[in-house]
Amino acid sequence: MQKNSNLENVLRGVAITAIILFFMFPILWIFLMSFQTNETILRVPPSPFFEPTLTNYRSLISGKLEGSTATLEIAFMSNLYNSLFLSVTSVTVGLILGVPAAYAFARLKFRGSEDIAFTLLSFRFAPPLLVLLPLTIYFQQIGLADTYGGLIWVYQLIVLPLILWIVRGYFEDIPADIEYAYRIAGHSFWATFRKIALPLAGPGIAAAGLLAFIFAWNNFIFALVLASADKQPVTVGALAFITASGINYGQIAAGIMLSIAPTFALALYAQRYLVEGLSLGAVKG
Amino acid sequence: MYEKEKKLAKSYIDGKVSRRSMLRGMASMGVTASTAGVLVNAAATQALAQNGFDWKKYSGTTVKLLLNQHPYADAMIANLDNFKELTGMDVEYDIFPEDVYFDKVTAALSSGSSEYDAFMTGAYMTWTYGPAGWIDDLNEYIGDDSKTNPDYNWEDMLEGVRKSCAWNGQPGGALGSDDAKQWCIPWGYEQNNLTYNSRMFNEAGLTVPTNIDELASTAAEAKAKLNGVYGIGVRGSRSWATIHPGFLSAYANFGQKDLNVSDDGMLSAAMNTDVSRNMHEKWVKMIQDSGAPDWSTHTWYQAGTDLGAGKSAMIFDADILGYFMNGGDNAEAGNLSFAPFAANPEAKAPTPNIWIWSLAMANASKQKDATWYFLQWASGPEHALFGATEMDFVNPVRKSVWADAGFRSRLDKNYPGYVEMHDISAPGAQIYFTAQPLFFDLTTEWAATLQKMVANEVPVDEGLDQLAQSVDRQLKEAGLG
Repeated sequence: MQKNSNLENVLRGVAITAIILFFMFPILWIFLMSFQTNETILRVPPSPFFEPTLTNYRSLISGKLEGSTATLEIAFMSNLYNSLFLSVTSVTVGLILGVPAAYAFARLKFRGSEDIAFTLLSFRFAPPLLVLLPLTIYFQQIGLADTYGGLIWVYQLIVLPLILWIVRGYFEDIPADIEYAYRIAGHSFWATFRKIALPLAGPGIAAAGLLAFIFAWNNFIFALVLASADKQPVTVGALAFITASGINYGQIAAGIMLSIAPTFALALYAQRYLVEGLSLGAVKG
Repeated sequence: MYEKEKKLAKSYIDGKVSRRSMLRGMASMGVTASTAGVLVNAAATQALAQNGFDWKKYSGTTVKLLLNQHPYADAMIANLDNFKELTGMDVEYDIFPEDVYFDKVTAALSSGSSEYDAFMTGAYMTWTYGPAGWIDDLNEYIGDDSKTNPDYNWEDMLEGVRKSCAWNGQPGGALGSDDAKQWCIPWGYEQNNLTYNSRMFNEAGLTVPTNIDELASTAAEAKAKLNGVYGIGVRGSRSWATIHPGFLSAYANFGQKDLNVSDDGMLSAAMNTDVSRNMHEKWVKMIQDSGAPDWSTHTWYQAGTDLGAGKSAMIFDADILGYFMNGGDNAEAGNLSFAPFAANPEAKAPTPNIWIWSLAMANASKQKDATWYFLQWASGPEHALFGATEMDFVNPVRKSVWADAGFRSRLDKNYPGYVEMHDISAPGAQIYFTAQPLFFDLTTEWAATLQKMVANEVPVDEGLDQLAQSVDRQLKEAGLG
């Protein structure tokens, strides 16, 4: 094994520090902002030294925002709950539907399979606004407008193609011979899928699920158009701090910290799968 | 609960005790000023219930509103129980942040949804919603004695504001003409005038500018004398909202129009006249010399935040933006003053172009008469006075509220110069744009041209000629020119 010289180690350390600073500085600054009032945030010149306050978090959690002229009712925590509920259930439904479908597209070559797979992928091509107005009308006719069920269904436009196409690639990368060997040993098709294919594609499924979760979490337009105020996700709710009577930067920063927490925690937890999953197949010979 | 307090409030409404005595009495009973306001309005609402109008006609009905997150909506919600008690109706509402509000409105209206019976809108938006058949002409309700209570007093609305919400649907048609349809009811409005930081003005020995040349020179002087402060805040983003506040108010003051309307109703660009060129040159130079360094990104929010944080010496923008910045936890709260502004030295008075938050009725609503009950209450004199005196429902659109001594003294006390500014500029306050369906496209292009001029990408006269050509072409393509 080749040993690095001291100079190389130092340079590497400097480069890593610079990269971490570059990427983490905005998040660090937002973190610091979340403990400040508007007055200290907006002072000239800006300073990293201040007397920290928990007011921003307190007002977000209590739902009462002291505005410049009056107390404002905000529903940030229910927005956060909506985001969590919509993203988790959409990804769960997406995985339940998408993983078996991906396996079928990877293993079973049937007539029209590519056409169906591309049709599903094309959901990602359509600009959301193009499909939303017709969807609004249909949803009103069939009673799905302003329901969580309707939203979870529409969220499949985001998560299903993503899961399907990513997971399909992982299934294709698993040598079919392993599955055939298991089948020859007398196991059923379903058992082979469950015991062999699923565990082997596990990191890929985790990576696809995580990406789908992030896409679902960041979605903005579907709930805005299709649902009323009580079902809005955090992406819409966060805009409530930009008011006619001023921008509440402190609450925005606290809101960002709270809203990135679930994806951040999930990404940290699933980092190993994510890296493993995304690099799987990248080095095949 | 609150029986004694209610009696005291009723005595005040009946004129038996003064406002000051009433408030002192309430305070002695441990009632806060805002609760006292709600109680006073409850008494006023009871008086309203006795005006012979059948307020309970739609008792048990629920109307649903789509609201923008705004102090006007807050004021209405604070007073909503009185409406429910008066009518026996229920009101549900959805509130969306302003950033996405009009997307939500457009989606709801264009899909023909009957979910929302009424909603907040700007008058400019009704130039799209009205001809598309998405909203109702409210004249048929206002003029119908069986539907409108006798104390509604439509004529009490400021004339320029009322007329600015009415249009006959003909491109170029005059606002408020005899054949105009009342697409919306004005609720609260903004004039564009000067809000300046009197602390900074005193410190730098500046005087309040009274025309565009003085505005530019005062802004330059402020920038030179005050460390790290820029002279004048005006909006600059590539949006129609850059044109409509200070800029169009100044432009109209020079007697300039956005579009010409020929006798046969055809429209053509009117912004490349000599007077317009001259005004544009002054405006562009003022921004280059003393505007915000990142002017081209400035919207309502940046213009206001910088003024409140002490980064700018003054703004030529909505008066209520200055009003909001003079309170709360803004660093300069309490230091801001207000002044009317006529850009043209030869003009007799200011001509503020206005933004009007209004209420409109969705055409798809299935309970229009009941919805009108809500609209007439929410835009009625009692709620206007409650909102203006107890909440931040400014600027009121009713003359009676502006005549109210309590309201005037409240403003005078905390917002120096505000009442005088309003009184001087209100007669000339109206929408100065030509009503036509390409409004948003053409004004956005105008803002983009201003950006190019300020960035020295194009000289002012050449930029205006290019803009006029483009406007004419678009009008022709749309069959309007």
